[in-house]
Amino acid sequence: MVNLTIDDKQVTVEKDATIYDAAKSAGIKIPILCHDKKLHPFGGCRMCLVEVEQMKGRLIPSCTTPATEGMIVRTSNEEILKARKLVLELLLLKHPVDCPVCDAAGDCDLQNLTYEYGVSKNPLQDEKFRWEIDYINPLIERDMNRCVHCGKCARICDEIVSFGAYTFINRGIDAKMGTAFDGPLDCEFCGSCVSVCPVGALLSRPFKFKARWWSMQKVKTVCSYCGTGCQLTLGVKDNKVLTTIYDENQGFHNGQLCTRGRWGYQFVNSEKRLTTPLIRKGNSLVEAGWDEALALVASKLREAKGAVAGLVTPRLTNEELFLFKKFFTDGLGCESIDHSAGYAHGALTEAAVKGLGQGASPSVIADIQKTDLLLVVKTDAYETHPVLGFEINLGVKRQGVNLRLVSDKKGKLSRLPGAQTLVHTPGSEVTLFNTLTNIIITEKLADAGAAALPGYELLVKGVAGYTPEKGAVATGLGADELTALAREYAAAEKALILLPLGLGYPGHNATLAQALLNLAILTGRIGKEGSGVLFLGEKNNSQGAVDMGIIPGAKGKDAAGIIAGCASGEIKALYIAGENPVVSYPDRKKVEAALEKVGFLVVQDLFLTETAAKADVVLPVCSFAEKDGTFTSVGRNVQKVTKAIKPVGTSKTDFEIFNKLFAEFTGKPLYLSSQAVFAEIAESVPGYAGLTWAKLGSNGIVRPVALSPKFVPVESVVSVPQPGKFALLTGSALNHSGTLSQYGEGPMMVCPEGYVEFGRDDAKKLGLIEKGTVTVTSDAGSVKLQVKLGNRLPAGVLFAPYHFGVNSINTVAVGAPVTWVNVAKAE
Amino acid sequence: MLNVASPLINGLKITLQHLFKKPVTLQYPTERPVVGPRFRGLHALNRFHDRSKCVACYLCPTVCPAKCITVEAAEDPITHEKYASRYDIDILRCIFCGYCVEACPVDAVKMTENFELANYKREDFAYTQEMLTDKK
Repeated sequence: MVNLTIDDKQVTVEKDATIYDAAKSAGIKIPILCHDKKLHPFGGCRMCLVEVEQMKGRLIPSCTTPATEGMIVRTSNEEILKARKLVLELLLLKHPVDCPVCDAAGDCDLQNLTYEYGVSKNPLQDEKFRWEIDYINPLIERDMNRCVHCGKCARICDEIVSFGAYTFINRGIDAKMGTAFDGPLDCEFCGSCVSVCPVGALLSRPFKFKARWWSMQKVKTVCSYCGTGCQLTLGVKDNKVLTTIYDENQGFHNGQLCTRGRWGYQFVNSEKRLTTPLIRKGNSLVEAGWDEALALVASKLREAKGAVAGLVTPRLTNEELFLFKKFFTDGLGCESIDHSAGYAHGALTEAAVKGLGQGASPSVIADIQKTDLLLVVKTDAYETHPVLGFEINLGVKRQGVNLRLVSDKKGKLSRLPGAQTLVHTPGSEVTLFNTLTNIIITEKLADAGAAALPGYELLVKGVAGYTPEKGAVATGLGADELTALAREYAAAEKALILLPLGLGYPGHNATLAQALLNLAILTGRIGKEGSGVLFLGEKNNSQGAVDMGIIPGAKGKDAAGIIAGCASGEIKALYIAGENPVVSYPDRKKVEAALEKVGFLVVQDLFLTETAAKADVVLPVCSFAEKDGTFTSVGRNVQKVTKAIKPVGTSKTDFEIFNKLFAEFTGKPLYLSSQAVFAEIAESVPGYAGLTWAKLGSNGIVRPVALSPKFVPVESVVSVPQPGKFALLTGSALNHSGTLSQYGEGPMMVCPEGYVEFGRDDAKKLGLIEKGTVTVTSDAGSVKLQVKLGNRLPAGVLFAPYHFGVNSINTVAVGAPVTWVNVAKAE
Repeated sequence: MLNVASPLINGLKITLQHLFKKPVTLQYPTERPVVGPRFRGLHALNRFHDRSKCVACYLCPTVCPAKCITVEAAEDPITHEKYASRYDIDILRCIFCGYCVEACPVDAVKMTENFELANYKREDFAYTQEMLTDKK
């Protein structure tokens, strides 16, 4: 600790603190333009000049100067004020001062400081910049005439996002913030640069001229896309969500958002939102009143007499999911409910339950930066959970985390310093992890306590056949590579494994998760800080859906069973809440046939999705911005969602609908609010005991987990390559999450349709060009898709995202980890 | 006696004097008042080429104490300039304080000498940008 005096105040700070940090901790405000707490000190703007008694003769930039013992600092006197005023005058010399038409006005550091320091006239005079303004980019507008050269955009893009889209170009007075060769911006569009820009040089184009900063209500809530659980501030005006606002003090991620979180909010006020219930009359869906629609639903569910099944999306709040489950078990007496767990979340619902005794990740998000060795299964972890990708970037670059990737393709994470990517044969993950387990056992690298755990003998026997040599053949890697990875993993003091889950990753199932857990348990990683396994649930409340028990009961059917039951006529009525199985479940043809066959289909959704179009009754529901509740994100963090706007049209929240149906079918009184249900959750759901609405606060609470590790050996199923065919892998695109982001304008501006990605060599052989069209054919069907070229895929491997309703990839992919396809150039 | 009569006589004197002076009242509407140069009458928007000068900075609706101004901004598809696609004043709510004129950074809004705002229907008091903008 270091003691110093700032403005006659005694301050004690950590050794690595700067004068600026010290002043901030003492509540003394020093003006800044180029400093950001997330970034390395830069010292470019000279606004933070202070006087230090021991260094008299010149003014000292406080944001780059370390605080030292006995320092006597003065943050404001006549000389300092004069210097700061001069800085502002020099900046305003080139700045266009077009505040009336600049969207940053009101939230502009330069404007605020100019006002604060009373710089009303400028003794200096010069011509203004005349840089061309980038209006072409659909998301980020760049007006370098307003730039104050703080360099924050370039630094955040490099340090945290690890993309490096910007840099200073030119010299002297001509210097400006530019892109490679001063061309158009072509990045991943996370918008981090826009969020940190202190002026209006970088602006959100979808939000351009929509509202003034001060006229918006700022509502703090949680993002509704992936499972990361990023906190979000929505800018609301006239009952509309107009933008997302940056708040550097929000959440573990310090307000940092990814491309879909920042730009994908438009679905809330989309014109395509359903506003009234629809009832099928003949071949068309006709608008109807709520009473009529709900009465019809109730009577048809009664008619079905227990042959009812439910599919619910893990995008709903915990309270809604809890009520849904109660409605099905207590009200209808049916156990066939699922949230596509069998397809996407088997890692939690099966593997973690068997191997750990509870369906939750043993590790938390904070472990990513605390670990020594991070083993990521598939580079896609960046695409499925981009903000966790930023955490990985920071861990590798700042905390010295050793990054190892086992993946069927390279990716952005592979380019991080020191990262090693083992690119294995598609679909051989389980073999790979069983081999690592075998190596650790045979080389006696296992944790001392492992042999005493239940199932150890079975594990030893189970993995005995997975020798490095056999593993090498199956995975296409070298036996020495596998041995080296196993030794490295066993030797690391702390080691964490990340496994992204999702409907696009059928291979990331219970078997693979079990293999990972065996490895982690064997090396004694469970229950230790910075170690263990983190399952990255796909949707915002995937963990919550597992916690609330949205899995089939003992006699119930899982999602695949429900689809089959609908097709066979065993299930008479199907209740779908928010899921879009036609696009997101494997084998579109089969799902469509099943939904057409089922006697009565209710769909409640925000939009008339491909699934809702087949329904007998469609109930319009509210988005996450229109309701209160809680989400449980990756790493078991329970966070509050806050209502920002009134429901769109006559739509009701899922909570209201389930509540009504629950009361009608059980004869019990209605729940008064989400809080009341949350109180019941706290009583009855393990792990939520003791949580109260008030305790959750603004940052949420990481709910505890009781673990009882146990080995469960698993056998790998090898996907046999078919000669002459390509291995098609499905997954997530960076800009999209599930099928919901199709209704957000931002994501669709960058990635508007499905595509299939080829390695450059494969494309050359087939004579394919970027944006050409190909027909992809499997045993199940064929689909026409746009071609995308990339450098990350090995020969013979293709990749396609699963989010799109038009030409959806589930026409060809039927749920196997690898789909073998033929490719032909389409005319 | 005298004390009672003198104030009465003095008062009548004034009244009689006024009989021969020019009257203070105006024979409105045949006679028109002279309006002072800083009079705060109906608003008007100054014109710049083919549209009003307003750049939709939202300072007038922000400063307006009666909240009677509604502005919506839009982007010119060719020049990318910001302009007001909507500029409405609900004159029934307006208190004619002139803060909007004071706040305007581009001299777009002014107040005219027009005080004759009476109308028959409430809707007629909603002034749109088209009605407010100076004619070419």
